[in-house]
Amino acid sequence: MSEQPAPSHQQTAAPHGAHAIWRPSEAELADRPKVIEVDHLDWSYGSRQVLYDISLDVRQGEIMMIMGGSGSGKSTLLRHLVGLMPPLPGKVKLLGKDFGGLKPMEKLDLRRKIGVAFQFGALFSSMNVAENVKLPLRELTKLNEKTMDIMARIKLEVVNLSGFGDLMPAALSGGMVKRASIARAIIMDPKLLFLDEPSSGLDPAVSSALDDLILRLREAMDISVVIVTHDIESAFKIGDRITILDKGRILASERVETIRNSKNERVQHLLNRQAEEIEVDPTEYLKRLTGG
Amino acid sequence: MTAVARFFETIGRRTVQSLDEVGYGASLLGESLFWLVMGRRYRQPVRVEATMLAMLSFGVGALPIATLLSGTIGLMLAIQSLYSLGLFGAESFAYIGIAFGVVREFSPIIMGILIAGRSGSAIAARLATMTINQEIDALHVIGINPVRFLVSPVLIALVITVPCLAMWANLVSITCAGLYVSAALDMSFAAYIRDTMNVLTTHDVWHGIGKSALFGVLIALVGVINGASVSGGAEGVGHVTTRAVVQSITLIVLADMIFAYISTH
Repeated sequence: MSEQPAPSHQQTAAPHGAHAIWRPSEAELADRPKVIEVDHLDWSYGSRQVLYDISLDVRQGEIMMIMGGSGSGKSTLLRHLVGLMPPLPGKVKLLGKDFGGLKPMEKLDLRRKIGVAFQFGALFSSMNVAENVKLPLRELTKLNEKTMDIMARIKLEVVNLSGFGDLMPAALSGGMVKRASIARAIIMDPKLLFLDEPSSGLDPAVSSALDDLILRLREAMDISVVIVTHDIESAFKIGDRITILDKGRILASERVETIRNSKNERVQHLLNRQAEEIEVDPTEYLKRLTGG
Repeated sequence: MTAVARFFETIGRRTVQSLDEVGYGASLLGESLFWLVMGRRYRQPVRVEATMLAMLSFGVGALPIATLLSGTIGLMLAIQSLYSLGLFGAESFAYIGIAFGVVREFSPIIMGILIAGRSGSAIAARLATMTINQEIDALHVIGINPVRFLVSPVLIALVITVPCLAMWANLVSITCAGLYVSAALDMSFAAYIRDTMNVLTTHDVWHGIGKSALFGVLIALVGVINGASVSGGAEGVGHVTTRAVVQSITLIVLADMIFAYISTH
């Protein structure tokens, strides 16, 4: 990390007395290495193509927001990014390594460097919160129980869940499940963090606290974060760059300010939460309804 | 499309799906054995603790119902044997049919069916719920191989516990049958057991144990295949659970028949 520019220039506005959170400038990010590279990715579910020629990159320490309407391909793209789907055709490189071309042990090493928090947490219901957080350590390292306990407590503290380690996932609220999921995702100190809809289903206060948590994590761990979200407010608050998907294609992939001021009609529709106007042929519509 | 064409299309689709599942089962078995043997080399050993917990749940947890079932089977066999052999005055040979029937047939198949209903359904439901809740995806992204973490312990546990339960069922069934027969024929229980031991060979016992181990493999694989193929929500879990039990029991009965044919020819 020593070759990276010192994080100094830009900081988010913080309430009086609160610690201001570091935000990298565009120039700072441009100097940093690419940690995620997606190159001409296409994907179909059977005959239905959901991703068309997706190419994007994420720099070290950058927070990339992936947005788009329902069915735009966000979740499919995320599944490719975390290696749950093979990029055929196309290429997905994480930390300079092409997931598709790696041997099992190399894949395992790469997976240790990424953390993923799923939309609904995906906590293991048969384990308590602490055991969930410790699972990657238990299965992938040779640390002793005491060290794992300490590390799990630290991560739970980071996500403001200290004292909740003994609870089962079913006993947690939605926000707590998401935070526990983030604690598990960062337990191995990853270089890349992927979050799927972290603020969905949360009230504004919890959602805002989660945004602050993500910014603090980025600052503390200098990790790159990719967030799939519908939450425009959150995207503007914490994102460095926003990629907007529309019907499987990248509509825009720009700095937050550029997206905010975009003149593109579709981008504005999405930002202003306007439904797409679809011209309907009444005869066709009637046929579709009646099955004629 | 005509009804005939649709009928053949359905048959074709189901055949392909079945073959697909057989292939998936074979690959699961292969992968489970791979992790069992090579796991340590890949820094992902099959956890002994997880295997022991599965054995506790599948085996020790099933002991009360297994005891009740095998005791009842033993008594039922004794009653039927005495009745049927009594028709031509051969009640004193009842122990032969009971011994062979219990050790070679009833204990393995009853324990197989019991575990298919009790644990096969639990395996399918657990896997299905984990799949729906993205827990399997979570294992993948953490870098934990789901087959090594979830399937191998279950497979090993069932391969060990079903034969153990079958042995226990042998003991309970023969004891209960012996108590009934000795009382009915006014002979000593010790004499009944001695006669039974004289007629049984090690081969008979291994026959039952071998079948039970095969049933264990079938129950594990069918449970996992169905659990992993879940779609939809709670309804999907219910569907694959039922399917797993029905398929397991069908396969157990078919395998039993094939095993019996091969071992007697």
